[in-house]
Amino acid sequence: MPPAFHVASHPTSAAEPAVRIQGVSYTYPATGIDSNPVQALDNIDLNIQPRTKLGILGPNGGGKSTLIKLILGMLKPSKGSISIFNSTPTKARNQGLIGYLPQRIEADLDWPISVRQVVTLARTCNRKPWTKPSNEDREAIDRSLELVNLQDLADRPIGALSGGQLQRAMIARAIAIEPKLLVLDEPMVGVDIAGQQRFGQLINTLQERLELTVIVVSHDMRAIAAVADRVACLSRTLHFHDAPEGLTPAVLAQVFAHDVAGVFGDIHIDAHRAEDCDDPSHTHTCCDHEDSDKSGGNQ
Amino acid sequence: MNNLAPIIISALMISLMGGALSIFVVLKRLAFIGQGISHAAFGGVGIALLLGVHGATTAGAIGQLTIVVAFSILAALWIAALSRSHKGRTDTAIGVVLSASMALGFILFTVSESRHAHDDHGHAAHGHEDEHHLIEEILFGNILNTDWNKATIAIIASLAILAFTWFIRRKLIFWAFDQPVMDAYGLSSKRITNIFLATLAIAIVMSMQIAGVVLAAAILVLPGAAALNLTAKLKPAFTYAILIALAGAGLGLILGFQAHYPVGPAIVLAQSIIYLATLIIKAIAIRS
Repeated sequence: MPPAFHVASHPTSAAEPAVRIQGVSYTYPATGIDSNPVQALDNIDLNIQPRTKLGILGPNGGGKSTLIKLILGMLKPSKGSISIFNSTPTKARNQGLIGYLPQRIEADLDWPISVRQVVTLARTCNRKPWTKPSNEDREAIDRSLELVNLQDLADRPIGALSGGQLQRAMIARAIAIEPKLLVLDEPMVGVDIAGQQRFGQLINTLQERLELTVIVVSHDMRAIAAVADRVACLSRTLHFHDAPEGLTPAVLAQVFAHDVAGVFGDIHIDAHRAEDCDDPSHTHTCCDHEDSDKSGGNQ
Repeated sequence: MNNLAPIIISALMISLMGGALSIFVVLKRLAFIGQGISHAAFGGVGIALLLGVHGATTAGAIGQLTIVVAFSILAALWIAALSRSHKGRTDTAIGVVLSASMALGFILFTVSESRHAHDDHGHAAHGHEDEHHLIEEILFGNILNTDWNKATIAIIASLAILAFTWFIRRKLIFWAFDQPVMDAYGLSSKRITNIFLATLAIAIVMSMQIAGVVLAAAILVLPGAAALNLTAKLKPAFTYAILIALAGAGLGLILGFQAHYPVGPAIVLAQSIIYLATLIIKAIAIRS
């Protein structure tokens, strides 16, 4: 049973979006002699208002990671433009406006480094080598550790943490730079439902305390449900309606049912209208069953 | 004693530098890359020989060093580029660079040797012996021929590498700890990889002065591996690595001078024994 949603009061549409994505396409170049270029994203338009929590739901291979890399400035769009807080992604990132929690923690946990040192590094890695962390740095680092409830484990070696603690340490690292946008990539792979709810509560607290704009990307509706108050669906193209209504458990159940049924393929599901999927007359506007059959047949 | 001073100082300085870098080499799993780079340097020596640049004069020594360093840096960057295009399959990249450079180096040795034989009619046998002695020196090192000129280069290069490493320490630690996300923090993982591998290439060429092509990388691995058996904390890890490197160098020098063992291999052996000792200490500490 997905948790009930609180509909965040949305800023007026006149407010400058935190993230503005206009007509963005991205095509990966061919990687070998016998491979072809792969279009991962096709003409994406998306505005994300400040202090909202957007979930981006989509199948594996639907372009979610590509979109994240574009937002983080790690890839440049083949077409279209992205602005983050009125800046280019690279500038926004280099100004420390974007906190990022990667999908898999690939850090080398054998490193002889404490939790506090990991969090400190995020803040100081771009500093002049002869400077020491300032009082302001120390306060921000302590605050980040407290917010994720790791203050008591701060001096432990990073390799001594449990999986959940490690993820919180990585969140502390992401928020230590005092970002305005927090990007979570598949944050709950392998996490049980209770863990997902705790994670959702943590992100909610962070979002309120730090006035963050949050993007959470997942193929798992429950992960989206635990965090987001709005949903966009991504499968090469993106369906998002900046409508005021929030998601209801019924809607989530509906979309989630589609996910489990494996109808994701080339189809796009619009969560805001997912209830329309019950109505056969709407099938072509939200869930193209012909396409889903085709993609199923191809697999 | 005057002859020994440059030898001792070079050995200690290079070991100090090797100790500091070894933590990164071990944790970033670059030990095999180190091997690749040092063997690539053999190709560099071959090129220097072919060009007629050799270490008999100071200018020649600097020229040879420049060519070998340049060749090693190129090999290091090539390994980095190959690993990226092979999607992180570094072992393939190193395998290619290591064998290609060794093959090139040996062919160039032979070519320059035959030229030598051709130039000096009647002295071919003598030249042949020289070449073999030279190859042995390059492969296993001969620190005993270190004069003050070579020592000065070793001191300056080691201090420069230490200072540079300290300068970029935060980026290096971030890179070595969590390379996949560092780009998201405004750091270029590609640039840092290239910078560190180039630094490592210079460090390895310096270590070759002690231990030669075959053993140079050991000086950049053993102290770190031993230190990490003793601690899980950042600063102690670097301190222990440096102390172990210096202790190994000291022991090796004493063994070399007293027992007339080859000094480079003696230093590597001493560091290996310390490494074994730390393994035992670790095992005992875990059990108790």
